[in-house]
Parts: sequence; C-alpha cells; structure tokens
Amino acid sequence: MVMYKALLYTQWKWARLIILLGTLAGFSLPLLSLQGAARADRGALQAQDLLRAVQSWGTLYPLLAAALGLLVAIATWTADHRGRHVHALTLPLPRWRYVLLRFAAGMTLLAVPIAAVSVGALLAAFTATIPSGLQAYPLALSLRFALAVLVAYAVFFAISAGTARTAGIILAVVAALVVVQVVASIANLQLDLIGTSQVVLLHGLGPLAVFTSRWMLVDV
Amino acid sequence: MCRRFGLLLILGVLASPLFGQDTLISRLRIRADSLLRTWQQAVAIANLADSLERERATIGRDTIAVGALRIITNASPLPVRQAAALAWPAIDSLYGSAAADLAERPYFIRAVDPDSNARRAVLHVGLEVPWDLDLRSTTTLLLTTVPIAPPDRALATWLTGVLRPSIHPREDLGGVYLEFVTAPSQAARGCFMGDIASCIDALGLGDTNHQLERWYPSAPERRAVVTGSFADFFDHGGSAPALRECVAGRDASCTALLRSLPADVLPKPLSDAARVSLVRDALRLGGQDAYRRLLRDPEAAIADRLAEAAGVSVDSLVAGWRNAALAARPAPVELPWWAIGVALGWVTVFAGCGLSSSRWRL
Repeated sequence: MVMYKALLYTQWKWARLIILLGTLAGFSLPLLSLQGAARADRGALQAQDLLRAVQSWGTLYPLLAAALGLLVAIATWTADHRGRHVHALTLPLPRWRYVLLRFAAGMTLLAVPIAAVSVGALLAAFTATIPSGLQAYPLALSLRFALAVLVAYAVFFAISAGTARTAGIILAVVAALVVVQVVASIANLQLDLIGTSQVVLLHGLGPLAVFTSRWMLVDV
Repeated sequence: MCRRFGLLLILGVLASPLFGQDTLISRLRIRADSLLRTWQQAVAIANLADSLERERATIGRDTIAVGALRIITNASPLPVRQAAALAWPAIDSLYGSAAADLAERPYFIRAVDPDSNARRAVLHVGLEVPWDLDLRSTTTLLLTTVPIAPPDRALATWLTGVLRPSIHPREDLGGVYLEFVTAPSQAARGCFMGDIASCIDALGLGDTNHQLERWYPSAPERRAVVTGSFADFFDHGGSAPALRECVAGRDASCTALLRSLPADVLPKPLSDAARVSLVRDALRLGGQDAYRRLLRDPEAAIADRLAEAAGVSVDSLVAGWRNAALAARPAPVELPWWAIGVALGWVTVFAGCGLSSSRWRL
C-alpha cells in the first residue's frame, strides 16, 4: 500500500495537468451539450434541435476518452523510459508487481475525469428542460465513457510497457496490412483487409466496440 | 342610312375575331381527337407487346402456387416455394379477400447464375434474380413486389405509393414514434401529446383548408420548413429576396414562400410511412374484406374510407394507431450488460499484456 501511494503520488505529479484539463473538459461537455437547446420559445422544434446538439457534442466523448487514455498511459512510463528504468530496477519488487501498481495508479487518476463526466451529466440532466418524449441517460453515458477511458488506457499502457521490439512488431503488422491491401487493390482482388479489421476491432466483441455506437446524453 | 351601315360595319369588324376563334377551337379539337386516337393506338400496341412479352416469359417455366400466389419461374436453387410459403400469410393478412385476385396476377421471376457473364435473352416483364439469394432475401423480395392492382388515384396520392405488407412492423411503428417526438410540427407534437384532432391533421385526414397553418402554426416552424427543405429551391430569381427576409426572421415572407408551393409539395408532418402504418392498422382491424371496402368508393374522403375499412370511427382508429406507436418506442441507448463484460475483458487482456512483458525496456 505504501508503494502504491508513492507511485500514485509520482504519477499524479507527472499527469496532473492532463488530469485537470480532462476533468474540466469532462465536466463541461455534458453541460455544453444541453446548453440553450431546450428553450420554450422553440415550440415543436426544440426536440429536434436538442437531439442535433446532443449528437454533435456526443462525438467529443470518445475523443476525450481516447486522448485521456493515451496521454495518461504515456505519462505513466515516460519517466521510467527516460531514466532507463534504473529507479524501477532498484526497487525491491518483481516487474509484474511494479507494472500492476503503475497500472492501478493510472486507473485511479483516471477516475477523476470519469467522475467529472458523471457529475456533469447528472447536473445537466437535472437542470435542463427536456421535451416530453425524450429522456436523459447520464448514467449510461458515464458508464460508456468510463469503459472507453479504461480500454484506451489499457491499450496504450500495454504498448508503452512493452519493448521497442513489441512496438515495432505492432507497427509492422499495421504497415503490412496496408501494403497488402494496396497490392490487392492494384491486382483487382476481392480482398478488404482494412474493412475486415475495422469490423473486428470496432463491432460486436471487438476491443474498441465501446467507442462506437451513439454517445447521447439525451435520446428517445 | 350611312350611320346604320357604319354601325353594321363596326359590329362586323368586332365580331370577326370571334369567327376566327371558333375556327381555332375547331382546329384544336381536331388535333386533340387525333392525339386521343394516336394515344389509344399506342396503348393497344403496348398492351399487345406486354401480352406477347408475358407469353414469352412463361415459355419453359414452372408455376409455383402457394395460397393465391402464382410464381412463374425457371428451375433453379432459388428457394421460391419456401419464400412464398413465408410471404403468403403476411400478404393474406394485409389484403384479406382481395389477395385472391393475385391468382390472376402472377410474379415472373427469372433466376440467373450470379457468376455467369453469358449473354441471355432480355425480358421486359418480371424480375431477374440471382439464384444464390437466401430464403430471407427471397421472402423480402416477394413481399416488396406483390403484384397487387394499384389503388385508385386518391388513395395512391395520399399514401404516395402502393401499400405493401410490412417486413418489420415493430420497427415501422418505432419510426412513427421518432417522428412524433422529432417532427418540427405542432400537429405531430400535439398528436404525441394525445390530441387526436392533431393526429388527424398531421396525417392529412381532416380539413385540408389552411393546411400550412394547421401543420406549422408558429413562425419558427414555418421558417424551419423553408430553410430546411426549400432553401436551394427559393434561392433563385424573384424568390431569393423573400428567402433572405424569411431567414432573417420575417414570418410574412416565409408564409408567402410556402403558400407559393403547390399543395402536395408542403412537407408532411408525419411521413408516408406513418400513413402506411395507419392503413395497415385499419386493414388489420377490418378483417378479411377490409381492403375491398377501402377501395370501394374512390370518391369518398380518405378518413371515411379508412373508417369504413376498419369498421370503427376514424377517431378510434387513429387513437389505436397512436397508442401502438407509443408502445413501439425504440430501445434506449443504454449499454447492454454483455458489452460491459466485453470491455472489461479487453481491459484485463491488455493489462495482462503489459504485465507479462518479461524484460525491462532497455
């Protein structure tokens, strides 16, 4: 626990700007998305306007989640990489435990912007005038945001924690996919590797499926 | 004497255009008669060609009969009989006793090899379908191309098309719910809130006088219709200044622009799909002869025809339809439990990847 607290403190020092900005953005997003859309003078137009505004702002949630996951994961490992892991090697810890503590500390820090989105969404839902027929879904949106942040963080954490060789292999696989697709297109072959990869990654049981679908604070 | 002659002369001069006009009318009438004869000949030739084409399409084909459905098709792996067996109950329940007429109006389906580029004779009747179509798609094809006789002009105009069986009835009604909630019209909104008179207005079943004010009673609604649906149309020539005034908030300009449109061009508060779903409801309520009753009197008002078909008052019919649409509210955007499990599973997998790296990154 002492070790965890120490790592949490150091990670907070490295990532506090990201966390603070993410918290501010996460809290503001739901409030901005409902701002002024449900005005009484809009009559029958207010529901359509509100849905349009919520949908437009909704595209920013997955971007914020991905950015938070990426930046916190990078911040978690930057100091270790820069110091060539000398500090970590001096600690009386096996590597797996050290990595687990770093992962847990990062997740703890990410809980702050996730909580900010939840509070912002609840506040926006309770204070806005929502036209009849529409409903606010603050908890569902917060849950989706939390999962997206955690998935993004886990993905980038795994990449950052790996060796340069691992990162090279991942990049090589992506490059190979693109090259094969280009060659297949030139040869007029019925091969859609990019489309298939997209389906595998973004739909159904794919790792990034939580990023897709609709990010609506208010819907029918 | 001279005065009288002068008067007669003036009258003669004044009357001469009338004689000329009479000649012009006669000439135009002769031309119209000639055009009518030509049109009748063209229709006769087209009917003959159609008949010959149908005859040609049936040569060497099998006829599949399921209920009153008749499908003339060539031998192929296409699951026509099974699809017809699935489609027939839906067709029968929609058209009722009128579905029996389909025995006289067969489908013509030519199943073709999807992988072959071999040239084949062109047929101008029926459908050409790849024979690898699955059962679901073949059933959908039969449902969406039912060869039922088209309805009379008044009903077809109100429906904007032909009535077909629904493939996804629940989703259709869910779409109506979305229209209730999001349509930029006070009439649709009033319908959603439970005002049946507003529903009747929004469906175009009531008094069609002052339709613009009934459908879009407020200035913002009218401005939204102009800017949303007709901005490009009005942004030319003489209507462009009025459009600019309308966009700037002058309601009189918006109203004038919308009034300049033909009556049937004004966007309906509830779409054609909503109207079709109402007719389907009426036919479901009315039983076996409902479709025949619906078509019986083409001169009657659509509301009366629907009430006659359904066997209930139009108010009851519309109220029931509205309740069904409210009950078919689309599923909310909540995250399913399995998706939460999948996301947490991937977090564990990626965290495990990070943990399992055995070397320090040196």
